[in-house]
Amino acid sequence: MKNVLANKKAIALFVVPALVLYTAIVALPVVWSLYYSLYSGSPGLKWEFCGLDNYKMLFNDKNFKAALIVNVKYIAVVMFGQVGLGLLLALMFKFWLKKFKTIVRTLVFFPVVLPTVAVGQLFAKIYEIQPNYGLLNSLLDGIGLKSLVQPWIGQASTALGSLCVMDIWVAMGFYSVIFYGALLDISEDVVEAARIDGAHGFSLFRYVLAPLLRPVIITSLVFSFSGTVKMFESALALTNGGPGNATKSLSMYMYNVSFSYSKVGYGSVIAIVIFLICVIGATIIGKFDKKD
Amino acid sequence: MKKKLLATMLSASMIMTMAAGSVSLAAENTEDPQLEKTIKILSIWAEDNDNGVLIKSICDQYKEINPNFNYEYELVSADNLKQKVATLAASNDLPDIFVYEAGKPIVELIEADKIVDVGAELKTLGIEDNLNPSAVALLKNLSGTDTIYDLPLGHNVEGFWYNKALFEEAGVEVPNTWDEFEDVLKTLSDKGIQPLAAGGSDKWGVTRLINAYAVRTMGADALSKADQGEASYTDEGYVAAAQKIQDWATAGYFGEGVTTVDMNTAGTMLMSGDAAIFYNGSWFTSNLNNESENLAGADGIGFFNVPVVDETISPADEYSMNCGNILCFSKDKYDEASSYFLKYFVENIGNEAMEKQGSLKGYTYDVSDDSVSGYTKVVLDEIGKAQSAFTWWEATMNSETSTVAQENVQTLLNGDMTALEYMESIQDAHDMSAL
Amino acid sequence: MKKKFKVSSVLIKVFILLLVIVEVYPLFWMLTASFKQGFEWSSKPAYALNEGFYVQNYIDAWTRGHMSTFFKNSLINTLVSLVFIVIFAVTVGFAVTKMDWKWKDRVAKYFQLGIMVPVAIALIPLFQIYNNVGLINTRASLILAYIAFGLSLSIYLVTGYLRSLPDEIMEASVIDGCGIYKMMWHVVVPLMKNAIVTVLVLQFFFKWNDLLFSMTFINDTSLKTVQTGLLYFQNEFGAKNWGAIFASVSMSVMPMLVIYMFLNKTVMEGMAAGAVKG
Repeated sequence: MKNVLANKKAIALFVVPALVLYTAIVALPVVWSLYYSLYSGSPGLKWEFCGLDNYKMLFNDKNFKAALIVNVKYIAVVMFGQVGLGLLLALMFKFWLKKFKTIVRTLVFFPVVLPTVAVGQLFAKIYEIQPNYGLLNSLLDGIGLKSLVQPWIGQASTALGSLCVMDIWVAMGFYSVIFYGALLDISEDVVEAARIDGAHGFSLFRYVLAPLLRPVIITSLVFSFSGTVKMFESALALTNGGPGNATKSLSMYMYNVSFSYSKVGYGSVIAIVIFLICVIGATIIGKFDKKD
Repeated sequence: MKKKLLATMLSASMIMTMAAGSVSLAAENTEDPQLEKTIKILSIWAEDNDNGVLIKSICDQYKEINPNFNYEYELVSADNLKQKVATLAASNDLPDIFVYEAGKPIVELIEADKIVDVGAELKTLGIEDNLNPSAVALLKNLSGTDTIYDLPLGHNVEGFWYNKALFEEAGVEVPNTWDEFEDVLKTLSDKGIQPLAAGGSDKWGVTRLINAYAVRTMGADALSKADQGEASYTDEGYVAAAQKIQDWATAGYFGEGVTTVDMNTAGTMLMSGDAAIFYNGSWFTSNLNNESENLAGADGIGFFNVPVVDETISPADEYSMNCGNILCFSKDKYDEASSYFLKYFVENIGNEAMEKQGSLKGYTYDVSDDSVSGYTKVVLDEIGKAQSAFTWWEATMNSETSTVAQENVQTLLNGDMTALEYMESIQDAHDMSAL
Repeated sequence: MKKKFKVSSVLIKVFILLLVIVEVYPLFWMLTASFKQGFEWSSKPAYALNEGFYVQNYIDAWTRGHMSTFFKNSLINTLVSLVFIVIFAVTVGFAVTKMDWKWKDRVAKYFQLGIMVPVAIALIPLFQIYNNVGLINTRASLILAYIAFGLSLSIYLVTGYLRSLPDEIMEASVIDGCGIYKMMWHVVVPLMKNAIVTVLVLQFFFKWNDLLFSMTFINDTSLKTVQTGLLYFQNEFGAKNWGAIFASVSMSVMPMLVIYMFLNKTVMEGMAAGAVKG
């Protein structure tokens, strides 16, 4: 047994290829970014050492602050929306839905496989107001709620919300499947016993199911967090960061700074900030895991 | 000074265009050595769309002359063009020929010594006369150089296209002064007609409107002054121009959700009678000429230049003009084979564009323009009237400033930002980018 | 008490029914919209059904829209990287949990750090690296990046699952005379089916939707993926040809639907069983 599991050749074969690839493509660029962050301009065009100037610039950059706020709001809303609604759907599969369980589960999961850009175009049309009302506005108009008809993605007050709705829509089916699996693992006896003790509806969930589901909830939050923190594809496809910069995330701002403004050094600083947010977020979520 | 030069050039060009016939024939005396070369072209038009059609057909024709010639056609979205070129330039991998933007973006490439001095090259090849002198003057003006580093892919005027039926319905006439223009907008709006369609989601469709008023009140050099630091973007005149457009938006002249409307949709709205006036360039004729698209018919849409505020500051025969997106040649990749292709391109694109699309690209042509459509004729006439030119809002801005100017114009339209805040954000970006 | 529960349960049911409608209706609408002709967009409200089946939309999308090419590229890139991600995740995951060597905990930590690395941070240096080795504008550039950025989360999932796997099973196989490779293939991998399915689905979701990498590394139309392709779609069709756009979107969905229906049971069960152990 020992010999088999200490087989040096096998270990090398198992670990080295992945390690090399990971180091070259993930780890090395991170270190490289640190080095880049000390330069101004862009490689090939006015590339000069500038010390910590880029970091100083960060504190006076209104656009950076705006992007940071947008990004944080987005993470908060989308993460809890995806996981929370996913959980609700899963509870429905388990407790209320009898007949069409499989087909509904299939349909609800389906948006996951849609290309984000396609979803963006679909929702742009749903939110449309000019020249014709899109799906949402024409429905509102049709049921007599004319006053609610508005340019959903054309005004700062609703654009980010509309984007969040889209991203929650895409992923909540995915989380519902994860939670459904976890619910199946909880034995019927536990649920029955709780019911006999008088736990129903919300109290059943609060005192019996939630504690049992905690590890899955945390895993899901980690998934969702790592997806939302990079906020790029969907915002680009639906609103292109607009109107103004109402839906412009840190990644989008970094992309602009590096590739349009030719300030690769400063772009690297923003990338490092995104990295730090990831570390902080993951640490916070991890804190909840430790209690057990 | 520059303005005057341009004016002379423009009137000269009218004569040149008529007498162009002999020129392009005379240049065809050297035999093509049929050098082997594969040229990479980076474009923003699909091969069956707009200028893409012309570039492709010129390439295909040249292949018949030089069988050893080949080309690879790559497409990038217009939004993404600057980023793509910037990354390619940074890695010394610019394609042989690429579409780019005139104004500040090309200046950066010239300064980094990345692109070919096309003017000198044309002189060596003896084909400089194939370019329309006024187009050349425009390009020189935009890059601030004595020679050109790019080829034009258009020779456009911009202004207001209007739906004649809607004007009649509202009982309004084409305005000449800005005050009349405001009256027209008001009357249209009062009659329940949406006065303006604008591509707020494409952003530049709106900044052009601010530009129009700014130039008419402050002169053609207003924007370059602010760029040079002789004036500040936050000065009264600029703020007033931004305010003007915001007032229109507040008054509902653009309809609902203008920031979600793109230029194509806005154009469709004009043609289908959903809106009365639409600011766009003469390239819009390609849509107007399309019968299935243009519901207003062959004579349903008219054109007028930006109405005048003060004749002494910016006269009525001053037009917003440009050469569209331009073609650049990468310096690293340019060789003798490229020069023969360049020669063929310059000699033939003018005719090709006139024959195929009835459009002006900034080159001389010797095919008859009698058969051109009504809309193309309108544009030819307007270009004929132009005595001087001004450029667009972002022409003098670097990419950082121009991004801010475009993005925040949506915020301005929505009223989430005041006109002063808008101009301040541009000034800020201008200052930031200098760091 | 009992009554109150019933009322709230009806409310919850209505709410959940609404959720399902919200989830499914846009897809149905997209499908009907893909058969609409140009005039239907302006002359009728958006929620109206299509008048007829205007197939030209699909023909336009397939030929002019290059959907066939984009599709092929997305599929190749995603599938190739998924295969490698799974292989690496299983082997590395096994090595750092069950095998005996000095650095295993440190290597596990090192890989785990990558979960927090946002794609954006690597973009610029990676562009430089690729450019220096001539990988820009190649399929390999995307596949390599996809694999490398898929490793951390996948290994994290697999190790979580492997830790809960009792050692006795492996001991039994060793006593039966299995070497390390045979044991991997015949004992460990089958046991890990569910974890592998979870990795596959999760990574498919990320890779299939990538835009940042393909936007940055690919110029060539013939190498573009569905995502980048669709992004340029509006330009290619000039005036908004919504019918064709929706046709391409529907088309990009169809094969997924088929594959998904086919694998539905495995995916659902695997996901359900595999993710819990995280």
